[in-house]
Amino acid sequence: MTSKDQILTVELTDTNGNTFTLREICERGECHAEFVIKLVDYGIITPVEEWREAHQWQFDVNALSRLQKALRLQRDLKLNLPGLAVSLDLLDEVQDMRREVARLNQRVRQLMGD
Amino acid sequence: MDFKDYYAVLGVSESATPEEVKKAYRKLARKYHPDVSKEDNATDKFKDVGEAYEVLKDPEKRAEYDQLRKYGARADGSFQPPPGWQSASGFGGGGYTEADARQFSDFFEEIFGGGRHGGASSGGGFGGGGFRQNMRMRGEDVHARLALFLEEAMNGCEKQVSFTVHDADAHGRLAPRQKTLKVKIPAGMHDGQHIRLKGQGAPGVGGGQPGDLFIEVELAPHPHFTVEGHDVLVTVPIAPWEAALGATVTVPTAGGKVNVKVPKGSSSGRKLRLKGKGFPGKHPGDQIIVLQVAMPEQHSPEAEKLYEQLAELEKNFNPRSKLHV
Repeated sequence: MTSKDQILTVELTDTNGNTFTLREICERGECHAEFVIKLVDYGIITPVEEWREAHQWQFDVNALSRLQKALRLQRDLKLNLPGLAVSLDLLDEVQDMRREVARLNQRVRQLMGD
Repeated sequence: MDFKDYYAVLGVSESATPEEVKKAYRKLARKYHPDVSKEDNATDKFKDVGEAYEVLKDPEKRAEYDQLRKYGARADGSFQPPPGWQSASGFGGGGYTEADARQFSDFFEEIFGGGRHGGASSGGGFGGGGFRQNMRMRGEDVHARLALFLEEAMNGCEKQVSFTVHDADAHGRLAPRQKTLKVKIPAGMHDGQHIRLKGQGAPGVGGGQPGDLFIEVELAPHPHFTVEGHDVLVTVPIAPWEAALGATVTVPTAGGKVNVKVPKGSSSGRKLRLKGKGFPGKHPGDQIIVLQVAMPEQHSPEAEKLYEQLAELEKNFNPRSKLHV
């Protein structure tokens, strides 16, 4: 067990190519491989090298968090696969836009000297 | 313990039909789903809505709840179930439900009981059949967010991160536990970037591996700087004469103050680039200075005279030529 005072060094997941196999992502998402394969078919999540066979797939941490989001949305809102695909794309778009709006608002405030 | 008014949570009347209850639930579940909503307390509201629906959708539970609502609620909003109360509909006992009852309130637990005993997990791990002893399971991954100031993200820092993990005991009961870690955040973290702390998620069950902690970094807005990709922008006001004649001005950067040469004849919006002073990394960004000509709030009569002379001297300059006026 790590004590509270110990300082842990973190691992950057987006840059050092840290990935999960199909089996690992299923274990972490607590779901079946069939479900992950369907999500890949619908373009909801994408393996790092999609052209490979399913058993050779590797997923990055963004794919994992998208899978977990998809599982929650499916469980809580009873979305089917096309619904999940549309919702997740729109949610991404909303998030990008919120970021952009926040950034632009900040720029405007700075330009107005507030 | 506080009494929970499930009708109020769903915004329906006591006489609402099952259809009306379902409709209200669906609408609120969409509104407060933590993956959809941006409201601060969306997670709590979503849990409340789920719990309310769990009770009101089931005629037996609803009848029991109505009865308790009549007799159990006190004027001060607190609640105590009548002595010897036992639910007939019973949440535990392997009755499968899709709701994650581990998340339900003490109030729910007190009335319907058994909800936290693992049987109702919706995850594939526990399945619908209740918790099995001697099962070996990997601990849950935990996802958390961490807000950083721009300077912290650029230069790296040490941060305390607090999050909740659910420990399972030998009977599969889940108890939330607050966990705090000190972590060293490397320099050059971007908004939305993930970091992983291996084995720092929920502990495994039956000797299973612990889960990981994933932290998503969020950049807090800075009063002067904005981030564009790897570059950091700052707007720097300059006096009209500095813009006209050129000047050396002191500007703030994320790495501290620096002196910058403003070229002669700079207009508002002109960008000066300090190479490599943006976000560090393999391809370090630049610090970009955006000049903005600022006027004094008032001019002295002498200054106004000088402007009049200037207007006369430069009368061929049309700053609006691009607007064709």
